[in-house]
Amino acid sequence: MPGRLIEWIDQRFPLSSFVKHELTGYPTPYNLSYWWNFGFLAGFVLMLQVATGIFLAMHYKADVALSFDSIQHIMRDVNYGWLLRYMHATGASAFFFVIFIHMARTLYYGSYRAPRELLWWTGQGLLLLLMATAFMGYLLPWGQMSFWGATVITNLFRATPFIGDQVVIWLRGDYTVGDATLTRFFALHYLFPFLIIGAVIVHLVALHKVKSSNPSGIDLAHKDNIPFHPYFTIKDLYGLGLFLMLYSVFVFFLPDSLIEPANNIPANPMQTPNHIVPEWYFLPFYAILRSVPNMVGGVLAMGLSVMMFAFMPFLDRSRIPGGAHFRPIYRLQFYLFLLDMLVLGYVGYTPPTDQTLLIGEVATLYYFGSFFFIPFVSKLEERWLIARGLPPEVISLMESEARALKKQNRKHGRRREEDQA
Amino acid sequence: MMDKARIQVLSDNDRRKFLIRLTSVVGAGGVAAACVPFVASMNPSSDVLAKSLTEVDLSSITLGAMLTVAWQGKPVFILHRTPEQIKSAESSNGGIDPELDSARVKHAEWLVVVGVCTHMGCVPNQEGPGWICHCHGSEYDHSGRVIRGPAPKNLEVPPYHFVTADKITIGLA
Amino acid sequence: MNKLLNLALLWCLANSATASEIELEKIHKEIDSVALERGVEALMADCHSCHSLKYVKYRDLIQMGLDKRKVDALRGEQLMDAPMMAEMPESDAIQSFGKAPPDLSLMVKAREGGDRYVYSYLLGYYTKPDGMLGNHIYPETRMPDPLGIAGATGTEQRVAIQGRARDIVSFLDWAADPHEVERLHLGNYVLAYLFVLTTLLYLVKQQIWSGLRRE
Repeated sequence: MPGRLIEWIDQRFPLSSFVKHELTGYPTPYNLSYWWNFGFLAGFVLMLQVATGIFLAMHYKADVALSFDSIQHIMRDVNYGWLLRYMHATGASAFFFVIFIHMARTLYYGSYRAPRELLWWTGQGLLLLLMATAFMGYLLPWGQMSFWGATVITNLFRATPFIGDQVVIWLRGDYTVGDATLTRFFALHYLFPFLIIGAVIVHLVALHKVKSSNPSGIDLAHKDNIPFHPYFTIKDLYGLGLFLMLYSVFVFFLPDSLIEPANNIPANPMQTPNHIVPEWYFLPFYAILRSVPNMVGGVLAMGLSVMMFAFMPFLDRSRIPGGAHFRPIYRLQFYLFLLDMLVLGYVGYTPPTDQTLLIGEVATLYYFGSFFFIPFVSKLEERWLIARGLPPEVISLMESEARALKKQNRKHGRRREEDQA
Repeated sequence: MMDKARIQVLSDNDRRKFLIRLTSVVGAGGVAAACVPFVASMNPSSDVLAKSLTEVDLSSITLGAMLTVAWQGKPVFILHRTPEQIKSAESSNGGIDPELDSARVKHAEWLVVVGVCTHMGCVPNQEGPGWICHCHGSEYDHSGRVIRGPAPKNLEVPPYHFVTADKITIGLA
Repeated sequence: MNKLLNLALLWCLANSATASEIELEKIHKEIDSVALERGVEALMADCHSCHSLKYVKYRDLIQMGLDKRKVDALRGEQLMDAPMMAEMPESDAIQSFGKAPPDLSLMVKAREGGDRYVYSYLLGYYTKPDGMLGNHIYPETRMPDPLGIAGATGTEQRVAIQGRARDIVSFLDWAADPHEVERLHLGNYVLAYLFVLTTLLYLVKQQIWSGLRRE
């Protein structure tokens, strides 16, 4: 009976061939490490956020007079409302945690390089959508941090040339962040996840065209690919189990560690808290904003700092495979860049003093400098590595894969000729 | 697609089958349990449940008059029945859904029924033989029993009890 | 470059450490219903005349483990479903203290340091040389010393007041997060389950991947 049902469907919809092409027959490099689990985890967290978000929206009220109370209603009166809200709030942090690792893996292994530029750029678009969604969601509890965070971030648009002030008022629908702002942020916070889902589908279509990169950085021939299912479905599920344990520790035992105390005070437009900080995932970019003494410059620098990653396919001039894996200087750059992000995060967290301002300026310069120098450094490194000689196992791997690919292409070409004949 | 000769997949053995089946069952159990909070969150919250008790003072309802109060957000008709109304209600068994009047009241002069038509949930008006529902024309007598369709059942009697002679609490507990 | 940044970071950390604020006192909070009951009674006596707990309703106290008759005694004329609003109207409080006393429902969550902050604050009152009241933790406070710690004489009285403060803060902890016990309880089960599931998934993964024989 199931066989006949599938046959019935297959005559009307390409179900079996889709499953075979994208899952049971989808060729995946055998040598992927656990760092390749994070794309799947990001997809899972997205679904988790959508599910908890929809159920929270059934109880939430987007009205300045009611929203803070409605959160407390969810936390106290709604059955398991506290669980849904803590899952959603922790989920936002988990999303960025997973995405940052996903991005770091791409940067480390050079997975952004040809032919994966579009894959990388759709990912960059997803990062922007995610940031926008997280920022708008953070206003909804209508606490002090929500209010002042939204005030500061909407004020960034004052840097728009000529019509800055009008743009800010247009964004808010009010002279300050108010009822109109809250209601539209709620509407958009509900809409954006569906845009993200759409963009994820584009991201996956691009992935399935160019296939996964792998730690060797060399495109593997058929002999070194294995079907996604069952090998990587089970590996992803095992990774998911580990992830869920970490996530549950935060949801059940440390849920308030990710919520600023000031956000438990209702928004007060008449009084700014002494120390306002964005959520941890925005801290490095916030530090860059503060490090540039000029307002427009700071906004531009912050925007650019998020967008810099998109330029990586052009900036990295090296043809050595495997990203940082086989490239000691790029590896050093990578770790220094991570350290720089941590320093910027620390600077973004602390109240501004002369010292932290100085550290922030140095770290900001290093941030942009590390991108700026990549073309020259990567070219020099390539020349040096070739002169020194690549490790023999890399060379033999490259040669064997090239041979296999050639053979495979020849077979492919011959088949095509036969088809044409 | 794959080069089958080079990658050999060992045939399923019993241990493997058992392990996969066990893991699937445990995993499916977890997914089902994870659904519980989501489903439960749509049930009435504790503040809604707290509103399921309504206290009514009967002393202000004159003979023959009716008071409509809200219980769980639904209208409840409290009719102070006249001797004639009691007599006519006791003399019949209703119509479509036969029931004794004595089974529907605690004190004969007080009728307490949920004012929601058992057909499609409209609120009937007090007129004619007792109540008439203007949505689809169902008629109820002075015991809240349906005497003309399309309603299938008599008006529901909510759980209530007399706290004192002229005070009732509608709702359980 | 790396070294320089590290040094700079260290320097920065060292500076912030010396500039740290007054140390908060440690609190050994209690979650058994007897302590919570003492806490809510102390709160009703010492705090509730001015401070509301608008997100806590009297019926919630039954959920906390308080006897229904005791709740009836605490609520007086108030309905079971009414929030625990202060006895003094807010406008009167503003007249007396210059600003409205803050709501206490979320107090331990709304301050850096949480319950330790509130505990230290309650015990932070002292008599200044000029005879005025001061507070170590929150010098600008307008609240008069509610537990009388500044005027306490002798260790015995101090210990009694500390116990009272601990009870009040334990109750405020519950009030800020009434589902905490349930959450921790559920969390243990969820983690235990996930541990079993993840172990099974690992075994399945090993099984499936062991079927992969590469030449």
